[in-house]
Amino acid sequence: MSPARSWAQASVAKPIASETSFLQVTDEAGRRVKVPQPVRRIVSLAPSVTETLYALGAQERLIGVTDYCNYPPEALTKPKVGGAINPNLEQVVALKPDLVVVTKTFNRLETVEALERLSLAVYATDAHSVEDVLSSIERLADLVGAHGQGEALVASLRARLEDLRQALAGRAPRRVFFVVWQNPLISVGRRSFLADALRWAGAESVVNAAQDWPVVSLEEVVRQEPDYLVFAGSHADEADRTFEELRELPGWRNLRAVRERHIAVISDAVNRPAPRLIDAVEQLARQLHPKAFAEKHEKRSSKSETRAPQFATAERKELCPCAQ
Amino acid sequence: MRPVTLKRLAWTCGALALVLLATVAAALKLGAVPISVSDLLLSMGRVAIGRSDRLPTEYRLIVFELRLPRILLGILVGAALSVAGAGFQALLRNPLADPYVLGVSSGAALGAILALIASPHLPLVTPLAAFFGAAATIAAVYFLGRRGGQLDSGTLLLAGIVTASFLSAVIMFLMTTLASRDLRGMAFWLMGDLSTPQAVGVRSVLVVGFLVAAGAIYTTAADLNLLLTGEQEAAHLGVNVTRVKLVVYLGASVLTGLAVSVSGAIGYVGLLVPHAMRLLFGSDYRLLIPTSALGGAIAIVLADTLARTVVAPTELPVGAMTAMAGAPVFIYLLRRRLR
Repeated sequence: MSPARSWAQASVAKPIASETSFLQVTDEAGRRVKVPQPVRRIVSLAPSVTETLYALGAQERLIGVTDYCNYPPEALTKPKVGGAINPNLEQVVALKPDLVVVTKTFNRLETVEALERLSLAVYATDAHSVEDVLSSIERLADLVGAHGQGEALVASLRARLEDLRQALAGRAPRRVFFVVWQNPLISVGRRSFLADALRWAGAESVVNAAQDWPVVSLEEVVRQEPDYLVFAGSHADEADRTFEELRELPGWRNLRAVRERHIAVISDAVNRPAPRLIDAVEQLARQLHPKAFAEKHEKRSSKSETRAPQFATAERKELCPCAQ
Repeated sequence: MRPVTLKRLAWTCGALALVLLATVAAALKLGAVPISVSDLLLSMGRVAIGRSDRLPTEYRLIVFELRLPRILLGILVGAALSVAGAGFQALLRNPLADPYVLGVSSGAALGAILALIASPHLPLVTPLAAFFGAAATIAAVYFLGRRGGQLDSGTLLLAGIVTASFLSAVIMFLMTTLASRDLRGMAFWLMGDLSTPQAVGVRSVLVVGFLVAAGAIYTTAADLNLLLTGEQEAAHLGVNVTRVKLVVYLGASVLTGLAVSVSGAIGYVGLLVPHAMRLLFGSDYRLLIPTSALGGAIAIVLADTLARTVVAPTELPVGAMTAMAGAPVFIYLLRRRLR
């Protein structure tokens, strides 16, 4: 079954209420969507969408978020519509949105179909690479009438990625094992934007699975002997704690990466296809290739990371979409 | 046992229908979005006199497009599961039989999931596959549950429990290994959930299927009373045992398949409701089947209203509600039986 096709099939012709102007677009899941213009009321059904809308300066028009939308902290004060897998549809309807934004990987097709039947415009984002994340930001900006902000934001993100690419040029990628979740052990699949984000950070995942969130056996990790273990955390001291923990754990403690303390902990923003993904990529690159950045600092002052790496206060549990 | 007259049947069902109506009214009023009683009555009145165009859009959408269809779905699912439960209890001559406990719901869920993997957007394939899953499972449990050619109560329950956990494991296996994203969120097949609105076509299939299957089981009600005393005794009294068992077997499988294909595996309703109805109105199947249908509808609408409201706007799966209430009662019934 091709997921893209089945999502496309789900889109049905919607009755149009009035003669307001509409923007006809094809969303990232291949569905045709008619979005009323200008968009004044937006409901976001994914944390990444909420973050992106804030970064685009569209937060005023964001009128509903999920229980998991915890960044930026102001998003916590927005009206809640329940979880991402099972949002409360009547709450969504009561907010009278012009546009509901979902992500194909985080939300359910049934939710999209139900919202369409209620004559709501639903746009799905679907990023499988860092480039996809950028173009998704641009498309979302156009959709909500924030073209200028979108262009500026993406241009600055691209500049930072270009700096990274230059800094890491000629360096062999580190073989890493990305730990999404420890019990059960879950990593990232090759089709996920995370696998691409790792490549941008000068890393390569030792897991090459077709699923987005493959459950991996520790034996396989031992066999692959990764150079680094990568964790996404919400607290700055997580690296020390993780190291102390793994040093005692059978199996883990024998890994070369643990013995040599090659443990990288980056912002849990890495789990969300939103602008802060680039922050996390930079953090990871610095931890995996410290020398590349030491040299760079001598050449010119670093202009990257406009914001200090802010760590969201998310519980680890919420990071794993499969745990929901 | 008091004789079942038409009058008694009408009075009992009438009273239960009133309770159901009150439950539905409460379910229409309660939800994440507050709606006042006067607004609700006004909306209902407008719809009743055919002026639904005068309704505020959000009321129309919330009350008539979201809450009402969900309540009606709950009524059908509850009635189907309870009648199926009553049917299985007669068929297996075991008061602890229930689609969920015997693994029939898991079988239906597995059928539905396989259908979704094979052909994700053909609406009728899913209930059909769920029916075959249910029918195959109950047949397997029936044969596993026999000892020395006789149905043995303990063996049957163990066979059902083992089958249920085996099938749940297969479902977990499929959900973990398949790369397809559209299977995400399918955990609800294991828990039971009414939050997914159904297309109009699916609803009519559900109604027709329910009426046919429940009606077919009801035609055997008098024979089921005799069958409860034993198959041989019933046969001596002129009951066509094979035919009756076949009708109940197919009917209960269809009902389970229909319910599971739209709501996942909602537990314990099929067990609890027929028992409550037996306590209230006696164990005559001519009365038990219609009262179970109404009682099941009341139970699910009530459970789903709780699931929608206790931690609103976050929704709980309705199966969590029914299992919380049902599991302790199951233990109670089991202990009473073993004593």
